[in-house]
Amino acid sequence: MRVALAGLNHKTAPVQIREKLALRSDEIPAVLLGMQALGAKEALILSTCNRVEITAALDEEMPADSLFDAVLHQRSTISLEAIRPHLYIYENGDAIRHLFRVAGSLDSMIVGEPQILGQLKQAYAQARDQGTVGTVLDAVISRALHVAKRIRSETEIGQSAVSVSYAAVELAREIFGSLAKKRILIVGAGKMSEGAARHLLRGGASEIFITNRTHERALEMAGLFHGQVIAYESYPQRLAEMDIVITSSAAPGFVLTREMVRRAIEVRKHQPMFLIDIAVPRNIDPFIDGLEHAFLYDIDDLQRLTDQNLRARREVAEQAEAIVREEVGRLEARLRERDVAPTIVSLQEQLEAIRQEALARYKGRLGLLTADQEQALEALTRGIVNKIAHGPISEMRRQAALQKTGEEVREAEFVTAVRRMFRLR
Amino acid sequence: MSVIWLRTAAVLYACGLLYALIYVFWKNTRLFLPAMLAFGAGTVFHLVSIVELWTDTGHLPLANFYETSSVCAFLIAILFLLGYTYYRIAIFGVCIFPLVFFMTLIGATEFPVAPWSSPAIRNVWLTVHVATVLIGYATLTFAAVASVYYLLQERQLKRKQVMPSANRLPPLATLDRIISVSMNTGFVFITLATITGVVWAFIEDGTNWIGNPKIAFFLFTWAFYLAMIFLRISAGWRGRRIAWLAVGVLGCSLVTWATHFGLRSFWLK
Repeated sequence: MRVALAGLNHKTAPVQIREKLALRSDEIPAVLLGMQALGAKEALILSTCNRVEITAALDEEMPADSLFDAVLHQRSTISLEAIRPHLYIYENGDAIRHLFRVAGSLDSMIVGEPQILGQLKQAYAQARDQGTVGTVLDAVISRALHVAKRIRSETEIGQSAVSVSYAAVELAREIFGSLAKKRILIVGAGKMSEGAARHLLRGGASEIFITNRTHERALEMAGLFHGQVIAYESYPQRLAEMDIVITSSAAPGFVLTREMVRRAIEVRKHQPMFLIDIAVPRNIDPFIDGLEHAFLYDIDDLQRLTDQNLRARREVAEQAEAIVREEVGRLEARLRERDVAPTIVSLQEQLEAIRQEALARYKGRLGLLTADQEQALEALTRGIVNKIAHGPISEMRRQAALQKTGEEVREAEFVTAVRRMFRLR
Repeated sequence: MSVIWLRTAAVLYACGLLYALIYVFWKNTRLFLPAMLAFGAGTVFHLVSIVELWTDTGHLPLANFYETSSVCAFLIAILFLLGYTYYRIAIFGVCIFPLVFFMTLIGATEFPVAPWSSPAIRNVWLTVHVATVLIGYATLTFAAVASVYYLLQERQLKRKQVMPSANRLPPLATLDRIISVSMNTGFVFITLATITGVVWAFIEDGTNWIGNPKIAFFLFTWAFYLAMIFLRISAGWRGRRIAWLAVGVLGCSLVTWATHFGLRSFWLK
């Protein structure tokens, strides 16, 4: 059994590709089951704005590059050929390291942003609900969550306020100067837009309007920020009043079309509008960028701008990388110990069977035994068997743990020798 | 006698011009009704003047540029009044009031007046003219510089190359405000300069002033400026287009300026 991970993220694939592959959370169960049908022993899917990644436990025959087959079954608009250049595939130690880095927010667009941990937890819960998490992924993911916690508490990675939302606020200042009295519309109340709203409020904005398909969620968020709720049906009519629009809706299709924005700008007498699209798939028609007074930034644009501010954070990230290296080593050792576990179990079973057989054979010749004698005999035979087993078992564990990181996990020669010696299956 | 009526009309039209300038700055429409009444009264005097000139000379007063300018101004005024009566389009006033005033003012310079009563008045008048021109050009230059910054900043934002924190250009909205305030200020001064300039040239050169190309170009620059202000206010032109127009008006002003010095030195030979 080996751990394999295939995926693409904001570094390897542009938003045009990511938005075609991104899975809604209601699509994931079907894909997980599809993967099981294709032969994966265990599987987990992490799909966020910035990445689509599949982690799986595979047996030796199944190739890792077939991991995306089940996703592509669901997506007729894109082929494996189209995504192959953007795809990365890791196995074993590399897969574990990548997953740890993702969990610890070292691989995030905004290094250190905390949302990814929640997204990973959610992916884990979802896979567990579908029954596609077994002992291997269970060990890997729970360790990944532990690593994330360690990184957060032992380094300062989450401290400085550099984020996509922050970049959005800075850009708003480039356009409007002061944010005071600027009206902000949030379409789609989610974690990302919540972050943006928080930053804008801190930046001096006061009037926040929220619209969401589920009215309750909008009310909830409005309560958080003292904002006003606009009915989802009527936000297009009120667009002209808004200076800044942030979209992070899961709605299919564009929530803002070019025509809507063109008309709004006309009504606003050509005062500028700042449109921030943090959704993947994108919520705002990219052609709106051609309108003179509309300034449209999608998540990739914001990333480019934040990249340079992230240098300082990268240094902190080095400490975090050290934690990852340490933890990967530990988990790998443990997983390899687990690899020899079947051999250990069958060795123990084999010796136990020999013991039982011998006892049964000689019981008759010993005549009637007292309970004490019976117990002594049991202890004697058990002791001999355990003594014999101890050497091979501890040596097998040691050898497994010693195997170097990154080396292909092959059944160690020593294990093979033990199996032969004791005639194990 | 007709020229008296025409000058009275010009003074009444000046109320409309005043309203237009106030509106450009403060978007204040309370003065629209008084301005409209003065404008209406102006057209009555204007009509009287035209009819009197007609009966005096025995033919339609379309004999020269001054008379055609006056009649044309009258027709524009009548059309505006009719348009306003039927469609209530007040916004045209911002453009029509100054235009009618200037055309009438030109018409009123058909007959020469007595030369300057004293050289002191002449000098003061000339100083006022030059000062208003220079203040107008200065604010216009400021608007044009802000426009260039605007175009740069806008381009950066569109190309998504803005480096928040590293970028040293002022915010777009601030630049827009600077452009509109300095452009409005410039317009007021250039308008005053045009009035003083026309009157000065008229008194100085008599009825020949209109043939002077540098003055014609000055009037053209002013009309260009008026068109820009009108587009900004009525059609809501902002941003890139207004920025380019501001640069264009500054270019025209520089040419006007150059012609003044060039021609003056040429004539002195």
